[in-house]
Amino acid sequence: MKLLEYEAKNVLVQSRIPIPRGSLVTDPAKLTLPVVLKSQVPTGGRGKAGGILIIDSADKLQPAIDTLLDLDIKGFTPQNILAEEKLSIKSEFYLSILVDRQSAGIQLIAHKDGGIEVEDNTDFQSWAVNEHTSEVLGQSLADYYELPDQTFALQDLVENLKTCLMKNDATMIEINPLVLTDDDKLIAGDCKMTLDDAAAFRHGWSFEEKLVEANFVTIDPNGNTATIANGAGLAMATVDAAYEAGLTPANFLDIGGGANEETLLKAFNRIVEYPNLQAIIINIFAGITRADEVANAIVSAKKHITNLPPLFIRLAGTNYEAAAKILTKERIVIMPNLASCLTAAKEVIHD
Amino acid sequence: MTNIFEGKNVIVQGITGAHGGFQARAMLNAGTNVIAGTTPGKAGQKVATAMVYDTIADIQKDHQVDISVIFVPARFAKGAILEAINAEVPLIVCITEGIPIHDMLTINERLKTSKSTLLGPNSPGALLPGVNKLGIIPANMSLEGKIAIVSRSGTLTYETMAGLTEKGIGQKYVIGIGGDVIHGMGYKECLELFQSDDEVDRIVLIGEIGGQDEIEAAAYIKKHVTKPVFAYIAGHHAPAGVQLGHAGAILGSDQESAANKTKILAKSGVKTAKSIVDLINLVVGS
Repeated sequence: MKLLEYEAKNVLVQSRIPIPRGSLVTDPAKLTLPVVLKSQVPTGGRGKAGGILIIDSADKLQPAIDTLLDLDIKGFTPQNILAEEKLSIKSEFYLSILVDRQSAGIQLIAHKDGGIEVEDNTDFQSWAVNEHTSEVLGQSLADYYELPDQTFALQDLVENLKTCLMKNDATMIEINPLVLTDDDKLIAGDCKMTLDDAAAFRHGWSFEEKLVEANFVTIDPNGNTATIANGAGLAMATVDAAYEAGLTPANFLDIGGGANEETLLKAFNRIVEYPNLQAIIINIFAGITRADEVANAIVSAKKHITNLPPLFIRLAGTNYEAAAKILTKERIVIMPNLASCLTAAKEVIHD
Repeated sequence: MTNIFEGKNVIVQGITGAHGGFQARAMLNAGTNVIAGTTPGKAGQKVATAMVYDTIADIQKDHQVDISVIFVPARFAKGAILEAINAEVPLIVCITEGIPIHDMLTINERLKTSKSTLLGPNSPGALLPGVNKLGIIPANMSLEGKIAIVSRSGTLTYETMAGLTEKGIGQKYVIGIGGDVIHGMGYKECLELFQSDDEVDRIVLIGEIGGQDEIEAAAYIKKHVTKPVFAYIAGHHAPAGVQLGHAGAILGSDQESAANKTKILAKSGVKTAKSIVDLINLVVGS
């Protein structure tokens, strides 16, 4: 789960990492000017899109808040606006800590130039966190940033970031920019943080709900073929194979391991919303999932969803025999493999 | 070196759970020697012919344990894997999905100084048709033979195996390394095993968008693998930056795309396919 800036900063502060003074806007009259207003959207590129406004007079406050609440940034409009003190910036740096896939460890990553253009850089410095103490890492950062006077502050920052990452089951914390103020304080100007959803069971997380789904992704809303599969790999492979066969897949859908009738019915209801839909490919290879449960869901969908386009079904694996029985009774055909599903689907599709 | 996948005495951790019990029976039905299982507090019960114990240490008082297959829920999985490592079980196969990433970092550190090999987590396990079914790969869709399959995706593994079986091409190994970002055995370790096993004649590698694993595998193949390798990378039409299903499948940069991985594998002498249908045809035609 990706946190919004204000949520991430609340987490930072609990790990004693300095952030600007600020709060969510509830009563504009209480804000101290000048103030920085920041749209709280779950996406990057906010500054460039006009999602950050610096306001120095009271009469401009309400119009600015209204503008930000209406401003669509990459498909998102904010539920909240963060108001912060305007920092007096001497310089800006980039700093992040993350779980690195390739080294299977935690990495600290830095760049001398922080701010919105940082992603154009390729010369990031990185250190394996487990191989050095925070003292050494903080010293290295001070050398790299050329901030010898900030050595102690950077050592504390590294130690606190590391604790913050592990204690909160975060997979990534990015501070960009890390601001050095005119009075020589290091402050997290902005923060992105991703928490590991798998660890939710041991935390009392209550963050804004973000409409990000991993298992149902629209690829082409005007596509003529919907796909339903189980397992991310098989679901991607089903989309690839549909393309190769000349169909235009509307979606990627992984109903997951242990999928049951209810989850499948929900999926059908979403799929039939696609306007140009002419065929549905169902490709299930049951392992943990049980094929008979899938079969029951298909029967139920056929009964309850009136505008269901033709289904091309491939079912195999655990409890296949029971599934075949259920579908045969309802005169629903199971195809022997994915290739035959695609060939048959191709025949019913017309432009 | 003995082949850890051919270990004789198999146990199931979490054997009295819904998945553990169902799958332990399926493993027994496939002829795998599931001698026992663990569920703390349920010692003395039986699941089919397998005795239930509280701990692995208790089992080891009665039996040598060669392989443990883990089905415990995610929140207890770290403890279960560490228990198996501490018991020095040679091969640990973890089927459980949704284990927190920081738990896996702890386990990985522990593995560095241990005698155990971990396959998974979030893996369908391994199937050696006629020898061992270690996990949830459906044995009835397999056929004994000489092909070795390694994959990051569970169901795509089954799909490939079933496709080959349908064409009469049997398998020596079917191994799912799991879809998680931090995992045990990787492509490299599997390729090493397949290359050194004289009974393997061809290798099928199945990958996905996201990460660098397949790129590293390509470099390994170029240097060390002389047997024919066939590959398919799933997700040619995946949108960038969107997580597709499990944690590992997210397209971060162009380098991690299916197109780029396919290109690099092809340059390393691998025969590559654009879809799973295409992959089966390539192997059949070889």
